[in-house]
Amino acid sequence: MKHATALFLSVFMTAIAGAQEDQFSTVITPAFSPITWERLVDAHNEPNNWLMYSGTLDSQRYSLLDSISTHNVDQLEMKWAYQIPVIDRAETVPLVVDGIMFITEAPSNVVAVDARTGREYWRYDHEMPDDLRICCGRNNRGVAILGETLFMSTLDAHLVAIDARTGNLLWNAEVAPHDSGYSKTAAPLIVKDKVVTGIAGGEFGIRGFIDAYDPVTGEREWRTYVIPGPGEFGNDTWSGDSWKTGGAATWITGSYDADLNQIYWGTGNPGPDWNGDVRLGDNLYSDSVVALDGDSGEIVWHFQFTPHDVHDYDSIQVPILADIEFKGRQRQVMMWANRNGFYYTLDRSNGEFLIGKPYAAQTWAQGLDPVTGRPIRVPGMAPTYEGIMVSPPIVGATNWYSPGYSQDTGFFYVTSFDGEQEFFKRDEDYEEGERFTGGGGRYTSPIDAFHSSIRAINPETAEIEWEFPIMPRSSAGITTTAGGLVFTGSADGYFFALDASSGEELWNISLGRRVHAAPMTFAVDGEQFVTIASGNVVYTFGLRN
Amino acid sequence: MMINLGRLKPILRWLAIPMVVLGFSDYPSGMLFQSARAEDAGNLYNTAVDIRMGNRYFERQCSRCHGFDAKGNDETGAPNLTGRLRRASSDAGIFNIIREGVPGTAMLPVAADVPDATVWQLVAYINSLRYDPLSVELAGDAETGGRLFNGKADCSRCHMVNGQGGRLGPDLTRIGENKTPEDLLLSLMDPDQEVAPRWWTVRAAGIDGVIREGFRMNEDSFSLRIMDTDSNLWSFQKRELENYERLEKSTMPSYAESLSDGELDNLVAYLFSLRREVLPQ
Repeated sequence: MKHATALFLSVFMTAIAGAQEDQFSTVITPAFSPITWERLVDAHNEPNNWLMYSGTLDSQRYSLLDSISTHNVDQLEMKWAYQIPVIDRAETVPLVVDGIMFITEAPSNVVAVDARTGREYWRYDHEMPDDLRICCGRNNRGVAILGETLFMSTLDAHLVAIDARTGNLLWNAEVAPHDSGYSKTAAPLIVKDKVVTGIAGGEFGIRGFIDAYDPVTGEREWRTYVIPGPGEFGNDTWSGDSWKTGGAATWITGSYDADLNQIYWGTGNPGPDWNGDVRLGDNLYSDSVVALDGDSGEIVWHFQFTPHDVHDYDSIQVPILADIEFKGRQRQVMMWANRNGFYYTLDRSNGEFLIGKPYAAQTWAQGLDPVTGRPIRVPGMAPTYEGIMVSPPIVGATNWYSPGYSQDTGFFYVTSFDGEQEFFKRDEDYEEGERFTGGGGRYTSPIDAFHSSIRAINPETAEIEWEFPIMPRSSAGITTTAGGLVFTGSADGYFFALDASSGEELWNISLGRRVHAAPMTFAVDGEQFVTIASGNVVYTFGLRN
Repeated sequence: MMINLGRLKPILRWLAIPMVVLGFSDYPSGMLFQSARAEDAGNLYNTAVDIRMGNRYFERQCSRCHGFDAKGNDETGAPNLTGRLRRASSDAGIFNIIREGVPGTAMLPVAADVPDATVWQLVAYINSLRYDPLSVELAGDAETGGRLFNGKADCSRCHMVNGQGGRLGPDLTRIGENKTPEDLLLSLMDPDQEVAPRWWTVRAAGIDGVIREGFRMNEDSFSLRIMDTDSNLWSFQKRELENYERLEKSTMPSYAESLSDGELDNLVAYLFSLRREVLPQ
């Protein structure tokens, strides 16, 4: 009897299944699949996903998706919005992995949502101590992914590993003691079988470094200080013991070249920011880009944009890598619009300076040495006790927000600001865990009196090809697409699209609150979407059906 | 025009207060504090040394958001602390904001391990950025100045006070709370000295080809809103404008020549009296 029942059920279920196949001819697959290192290296060719903070390891933020293009971008409409529960500014760039979007939130949380609808799968709320030391708001810019694990920096200077399917905490590693002034805000970068990550705290007299962690155990594999210790090259560029509290935080995400096996990372200002008297010398490797060996983390080469900085001109920009024709020769270059007001094209294989010119208002340097790229300073522009007007202001000609590059136009795109500010110097002693900045600044004109724009720069000539004025100063990043578009946002709460070739405005929407984040684009079931955070909301747009 | 700073001296006899910078430590909201809320029993830390210590702490910890001159920052949303404070009207109120932060804003509580004494010194410094209006001796007569405001000087044609007056200049109902008599006199003598972007003039040619001129109520990357001299409100998309120009100057005339020194003194006294509390005559 049992066997007869089982046989009947088996036949019945088979019949049902057959009927279902007939009725539902579309096969659906589960969301999400593990991300291998090979997939990360080849992320350009997987444009339906956005697999890392800058989209691809070369950080071009260029997507091959082209169903949204110059011809139809004016047909974009909002598809969904996700409200971040903690009120602070959202600097997140979400990742999308096969239909799931991972969004980071203030202070150090992450939520996984359906990328088509914005509806939640799970969330992870990071436990936080009550004695944080953070300079500039409760921010988090994004996660990295390898396998089925997300990696996130937290404000208490930890690195956490989170199960991408459930949000469960896998491990929680202290990167540095938060009560000494260390914190973490930037998305890590996966390099082969390691999680590479920087550190924030440049306003608290920390000593900056770049770390690599084992993705499975959370054990630290290597640490490279970007301020050399005694006996190391460059330590003598710091007077006395000033190297111990010299800052040079590494508070943004770097890039990686798999062929050269080099990691590229920007470094922040020397500390104290505005009083250089206590740290005489070039202060290596502050305000630099360092190239690290992809396996050992050793510094292969460096290029210092602003030796002995006294204006807080962090070189915290995401390095954009591309192979371009430069003066008749194919070169492996790195493109960099610096907070100090100069644009640079470097040879990324060895750090050779190829070309550099101002791309925004600046008064602190007469120009760059044509051979070395070292700035030629205007005398008497260091901060004073009484205050001195200098351009760019403290926030810089640009800052941490991502620039972009288009493989179609060959242009580099950057959000720029032509401002000025009065800089002050103060005498301060270092106290662990306290701010150590040695001064500050103030605007003497309303922000609306200054000029801001999105600028397209030709990396071969360092000339500005076009600019699109915005107002006031923006802190939004840039994303480009094979649809001929440049997507970005503005401080006055717009999200907009420009023609990548001409800079012509093609579409805009007022989202009402400041855009502090970079856009990203992805596709689900062949339909392209564009996502941007504005205020405390993450918006996703797609073409009208 | 040049301002005769010498003429300011007989009008103003008040203590000059050092104007400097401050900032607040960044800490997350929702944390527990050992220190209790302050009750309004006065600030024991208000000597010149305390103010100086508070100043130093402000420059180091608070100035990033509030500015080195404590005048606030539009970008960070940090308010100007040199005028009347919107969220605190007492020393204890300022203390509690520094201790507890302002929920839902970027103003986070000061670190729990910062001693109360340091917070009180900050309170003393913030207080020093303002001054007690009672300590100000003005040469002019406010009542006479009020008649001048509505009469010969014709200020009310453009400015409102308590809901009465024009729309072509800032509402002056509480102008005395945030401006010193010196500021007020400078504004009367040289209105172009400091013009808020809200009162810049914009001239724009719309899609109908008509050129309209008005106050720049709001401008962003893609659009523009103005009010013309007939109080008509206009909104334009910039891409639809044939051209537009911006004049970063005031539309207010200078009173340096048209009013006497005595009349200016009276007008300043009247404007300085425009505040919530009533000043004794």
